[in-house]
Amino acid sequence: MGEKLLQVKNLSTYFYTDEGIVYALDDVSFDLGRGEALGIVGESGSGKSVTALSIIRLVQSPPGKIVAGEVLLDGEDLLKKSKAEMRHIRGEKVSMIFQEPMTALNPVFTVGRQIMESILIHQHKTKKEAREQAIEMLRLVGIPAPEKRIDDYPHQMSGGMRQRVMIAIALCCNPQLLICDEPTTALDVTIQAQILELIRDIRERLGTSVILITHDLGVVAQVTDKVIIMYAGKVMEYGTVRQIFTDPLHPYTAALMRSIPVIGKKTERLNVIRGMVPSLSKRPEGCLFHPRCDEACDLCRTVRPELTDMPGGRQVRCHKYTDKWEETSHD
Amino acid sequence: MTDEIILSVTKLRKWFPVKSSKIFGEKQSVKAVNDITFDIHRGETLGVVGESGCGKTTLGRTMIRLLEPTSGKIVFEGRDLTALNEKEMRLARKDLQIMFQDPYGSLNPRMTVGDIITEPYVFQKMYSKKERIEKAVELMKICGLDPVYIRRYPHEFSGGQRQRIGIARALALRPKFLVCDEPVSALDVSIQSQIINLLMDLQQEFGLTYLFISHNLSVVYHMVDRIAVMYLGNLVELADKDDLYQNTAHPYTRALLKSIPSLDFSEEHKLRAALKGDIPSPINPPSGCVFHTRCENCTERCRQEVPPLREIAPRHFTACHLYDGQGRLVEN
Repeated sequence: MGEKLLQVKNLSTYFYTDEGIVYALDDVSFDLGRGEALGIVGESGSGKSVTALSIIRLVQSPPGKIVAGEVLLDGEDLLKKSKAEMRHIRGEKVSMIFQEPMTALNPVFTVGRQIMESILIHQHKTKKEAREQAIEMLRLVGIPAPEKRIDDYPHQMSGGMRQRVMIAIALCCNPQLLICDEPTTALDVTIQAQILELIRDIRERLGTSVILITHDLGVVAQVTDKVIIMYAGKVMEYGTVRQIFTDPLHPYTAALMRSIPVIGKKTERLNVIRGMVPSLSKRPEGCLFHPRCDEACDLCRTVRPELTDMPGGRQVRCHKYTDKWEETSHD
Repeated sequence: MTDEIILSVTKLRKWFPVKSSKIFGEKQSVKAVNDITFDIHRGETLGVVGESGCGKTTLGRTMIRLLEPTSGKIVFEGRDLTALNEKEMRLARKDLQIMFQDPYGSLNPRMTVGDIITEPYVFQKMYSKKERIEKAVELMKICGLDPVYIRRYPHEFSGGQRQRIGIARALALRPKFLVCDEPVSALDVSIQSQIINLLMDLQQEFGLTYLFISHNLSVVYHMVDRIAVMYLGNLVELADKDDLYQNTAHPYTRALLKSIPSLDFSEEHKLRAALKGDIPSPINPPSGCVFHTRCENCTERCRQEVPPLREIAPRHFTACHLYDGQGRLVEN
């Protein structure tokens, strides 16, 4: 660890729609060390998936456009690469697995052929060698009898197995970075536990860096070291899992933690975050969270807060932690 | 919660026939709900948990005869619902309502909110048109919707608001028993807690009895009084929620509880896959105990003999050969 693999700097992605500009991702910055696992947590529309798609440049354009920022992988800016160069980087250096194991695989080809496709494109191997490697990959992701299952079609496999195949495809060129976008949302809890254990295991064995995107704080606590909390296209808080879970700084993070029911804990009523996520084309003035925040004051209603560095290497985007907070009156 | 039983099902079974691949082959069926027996008390919330395909949704729908049971009895307030004809059932349905998981698919996009909420009155031929609108306004207020939106269409609302519309419609006939089929699964965490609180408030106010179906065990723990755990169409454990979490009896329940990613990130709470393999096909479920193929305590007896649901402690039922009738662990 320590050494930076990925640096995202001031990344902004907007969607130009008939209803106006949707600020899906606004000035997002973060680093990821080699071998590190980072969780990106947020509700729907918070921009977590757009972050992933922007990093590997798969944002549909139009209407989407990466308007500013840098994505440095090993010091090279991915946003400056040509389309052909990007095709080589995807799969070889950065791989992604998606939420829907049912639709992400092509139903008319065997899973073996789909794994081999990726190997044949990126590596100089014969078909026979590629097939052998594909079997090896299936074994790595824990599919029983891989010599037989390699000739199965996706519909012959269960959801958990298909997600394992997706992971096999993503890993076959030994990428440095694996982006998992809601990898277990469509799966049952017992199968989810299997897949999360696999992702953790792969990271330990192969040293792959992982970005895990999810709405489930529990999943993040189990797999990653660091967490980003996103809201309405902005990073609200960044820190280690321990920091964020034991002592959330941002009022949004704190409210989110309180609104999750916990087994064994007796609570009469759950905490409610009133209202709903703002429309990203008509964003409120000031802090994007202020209409739903219990601690909001005039400052929050008018001035957009910046991401502030905090002790312990944490960051938070809230006026409460700046000098300006003291000077204003609070109701 | 009272001790009075509002609804009880006895050996309820729902099998869906499937097309056989051979013309003269044996008739096959998906055994979605397999001889399930339990009671629900007035005013309580019974949670039903299990993984996809375990039959929890089918159970909820069969209990109010949205699906015709293959066999078995459903007794609601002393009346056997399976014996009613169509007309009698329609009247009985005033007391038995359901709300669905998908806030996008379960509302007709071409009807206004007002029409959606008052549609049950139209079916039951209740009230004049003017009274129906008054009722709709009242229901919208109860469910936290602004009545000025009565003429709007579902697509103009967010997921959480649509779920409120679904609740308002389910409450229109002032039912006594409400099946909530994954009511918060499609919602964001911050919206989820709003709907959970609303459902709990409504239960207090109207003395409702809930069957709360969910795959999210944390939400179920918060919402319910008792929990029924299903696996492959069978009821494997039924107990008060704290009893279930503290004195888990069935190996499947234990595995399910272990699989929840907890907010506790310490090393000893690190998630480990508790179960190997996938759920077997409900068309050809395993012989004996349906869970034996994935169970770590499996014995020869489990492979051959179906374990009956037994009371192993007061109000704690489980279907597992590990326990005898007195609730003692059997030596194998």
